[in-house]
Amino acid sequence: MDFTQATLVFVVLAPGAVFGVLALLWLLGSVPPERVISRITGWMFSASVVALLPVLRSLAATGAPAVTVTFGNWFAVHDYRFPMVLMADRLSLPFLGMTVVLAGLIGRFSVTYLHREPGFFRFFLLLHLFTFGSLLAFAAGSFDLLVGGWEIVGITSVLLIAFFQQRTAPVENALRVFGVYRACDIGLLVAVFAMHNWAGTASFAGGLPPLNGYRATTICLLLLLAAAGKAAQVPFSGWLPRAMEGPTPSSAIFYGAISIHAGAYLLLRVQPMLAQSGLASALVVSVGVATAIYGTMTGRASADAKSSLAFASLTQVGVVFVEIGMGWKWVAVIHILGHATVRTLQFLRAPSMLHDYHQMHSAMGGETSAAGRHLEELFPRRMQLWLYRWALDRGHLDTILDRFVIHPLMRLSRFFAGLDRVGLDVVVGSVAAKSPTTRSSAPQVREGI
Amino acid sequence: MASGVMLTAVAIGVPWAGAIVAAVTRRQPRVIGFAAALISVAASALLMRTVPAGESLKEALMVLFSCLTLGATLMLPRRDCSSGTIGGILFLLGSTLLAYSTDDLRVLLAAWVVSAVPFLRERWFGARTWRPGLGLLLSSGALALAIALIAASGDTMSIGGLIRKSPGGMAVFGLLVAAVVFRKGICPAHAWVADAAEGGAAIPTALLLNGHFGAMLVARLIVPLFPNTARDLFPLLSYLALATALYVAIRALTENSPRRLLAYLALSQSACILAGLESRTVEGVTGALVHWFVVTVSTMGLFGIVRLLEVRFGENLTASGHLGLAAHAPRLAVFFIVFGLALVGLPGTLSFCSQDLLIHGTLASHPLTGLLLPIATALNAVGVFRLFARLFLGRRRTGFTVMADALPRERLILTAGVLFVVFGGLFPNAIVARRAAEAEAVERAFHVPEESPDTARRWASATWK
Repeated sequence: MDFTQATLVFVVLAPGAVFGVLALLWLLGSVPPERVISRITGWMFSASVVALLPVLRSLAATGAPAVTVTFGNWFAVHDYRFPMVLMADRLSLPFLGMTVVLAGLIGRFSVTYLHREPGFFRFFLLLHLFTFGSLLAFAAGSFDLLVGGWEIVGITSVLLIAFFQQRTAPVENALRVFGVYRACDIGLLVAVFAMHNWAGTASFAGGLPPLNGYRATTICLLLLLAAAGKAAQVPFSGWLPRAMEGPTPSSAIFYGAISIHAGAYLLLRVQPMLAQSGLASALVVSVGVATAIYGTMTGRASADAKSSLAFASLTQVGVVFVEIGMGWKWVAVIHILGHATVRTLQFLRAPSMLHDYHQMHSAMGGETSAAGRHLEELFPRRMQLWLYRWALDRGHLDTILDRFVIHPLMRLSRFFAGLDRVGLDVVVGSVAAKSPTTRSSAPQVREGI
Repeated sequence: MASGVMLTAVAIGVPWAGAIVAAVTRRQPRVIGFAAALISVAASALLMRTVPAGESLKEALMVLFSCLTLGATLMLPRRDCSSGTIGGILFLLGSTLLAYSTDDLRVLLAAWVVSAVPFLRERWFGARTWRPGLGLLLSSGALALAIALIAASGDTMSIGGLIRKSPGGMAVFGLLVAAVVFRKGICPAHAWVADAAEGGAAIPTALLLNGHFGAMLVARLIVPLFPNTARDLFPLLSYLALATALYVAIRALTENSPRRLLAYLALSQSACILAGLESRTVEGVTGALVHWFVVTVSTMGLFGIVRLLEVRFGENLTASGHLGLAAHAPRLAVFFIVFGLALVGLPGTLSFCSQDLLIHGTLASHPLTGLLLPIATALNAVGVFRLFARLFLGRRRTGFTVMADALPRERLILTAGVLFVVFGGLFPNAIVARRAAEAEAVERAFHVPEESPDTARRWASATWK
């Protein structure tokens, strides 16, 4: 392993190591003070940024396609292997850089923002785990490893949504987001297994698995499902405003910068395969267009700053999906980098900006000026009202999800519970009535998720 | 050879002797239980060293189960740690190790029945409902009938001597499958597991379920004795396992009793193990064997934590509302979420590797099962997170007096469990490679040609030597 490879390994593993040490200390009963945590975080992210420079230099100076580090197989059975390959190429390097820079800035911001917050330690623990997961996903040389990072990002995202655990709403919203993540991640898992079955590998360190025809289309559609779930694209956009329950710094890093763009990264990674499939490309564009329209309309009817920013973020990611579907790979990458940076700033500025505006308005005795004209004013009045209601209910996406997925699933679950009880009654009749089992499960079953 | 027999005798005999000592003396039951389980762990570990890697599934399972029992003796709350409970746990340990190690069908049947005895008596570990008793009796009855039919056909009672002979034909095969279905709680015989978990003693019941006698019967008897029939009919059992995994995963979504919910999750993941064993691919069988280890440790940890919470915060815990227990017991909350997510394939834990292998192998042999198993696992993940959120998150309850978080002995054993699933996940090759060699033998047994029983016999002696 040469120096450049070592620096790449350091960048990816450093946040994971910090997480591991802090977690172990906590388990042993010791919680480091805020100052120690902030210093460790600062040093670690500064070192990571510096460590990325040799990788950048290596790619720029030598013209090599990628810096690759191979650790062999994580595990292997028969002819099935799980390769451990880290890779920084021209696609992943911008994402790696964006992650360490923005996560470092968020860490610095959070030291002040969460000062003396009861969950200070927990937040930093999860921030390091999230950064590790993101870096692992972006530096993975195979889809197998990418899944690992992807899942870690998902679980940390959910745990940070439930950060203010003493309130019910964040906890319930976290459960909802977790459900959507898990449902959509099935697409990624099945795609990886399908790659192994059809191509014998899920590695992309030496190019994508050689697939074409219906197989390429199937893989792309499965990955689109995963990407759309992670990037909150239509029809999975309903979870995004719910995710705003977390602290502002985590909203910034997850839904303004990194997590929200992970889906786009996944599609960029398979872009050559996507280009082979007209159906998949058309679907990516359609999903992007639908999301961009959805995001801009619902964002206009959002009453709170963070949700407005989240929907604005959604609109831009929708446009990024369109760019990917059209095959404009580097336009999409530049768009992502610019958008992530600006949106992070906006998220971090949102609480203080509101405070500033309130101060300014009270000093001036009222609001400064009326809002300008909007595009929707061109629509007929009845359509404006319909659109407003549609936007206010966030495109009815949650309602649709509830009505067609969650409620049927809950009904099915209750039906199964009933089946168990009916089986009991049929077999033993009155004995069942005295059973503590039926007593305990019957009334509770009605409440569910 | 002689040392192997001696070590097996120690691993089985010492827990039984410990059970008798605990019942007679009625003093220091935890110390007696811990010492007996520790000796059993040591004997099983030494036994494992005497066999080559790849031929040590039986010994590895013996080590695993004795470690679980050792953990149980530490984790049992003081309220539960009576001489009767410790005696019962040691009794169960001895019976389970006997079932794992014996080559005689009559001894296997005796161990099978004896392991169920504590759960048939309500004053011991039994539930107040009739279903657990019925499930255990039916499974024992089916196995007894199968063995009686084999005996009646004049065949030997040695498992090694019956390899590939299909003793008793389809009737015995059907009875053995029925024994698996009842003991493992495969649909439609699933309800007793939840009843046992809710109404019985939590930690001993978790031990009973984690003996995985059903999976053992598949690997031990059904595949080697009936390879051709198994090859033809196992897809049906695979679909039944899949149906169970999905059914109980959906059923868990609206269940509010923590113990029942955990039982459903354990059942769903156990059904995944069965589906993997039936995949007839090396990857699938390896995944199933590794997942066996993960499910065992994780569910033991989860049941233990729920029992510890019940002791601290009352027996009527429910997931119908948020209890906010993380504010009182943050370490138990962390242990719970780690074990819970380890059960459903969190990256960085051993179950990520096992599920990766299991689903990959199943997808190759039964595409429908392979496609639907991830859905069952996703539903299980929602169930785990829902239970975690409801028990540990939410507004802090003020009605409780100040309660201790995990005590040092509890923290020790829970940390050991977490380290197993995490380090197993970070460095899985040590575990996966050993199981892969055993899985290759299982997979070969399915493909043994009709005229070469020797190969199958070699497999049986290698895997369950």
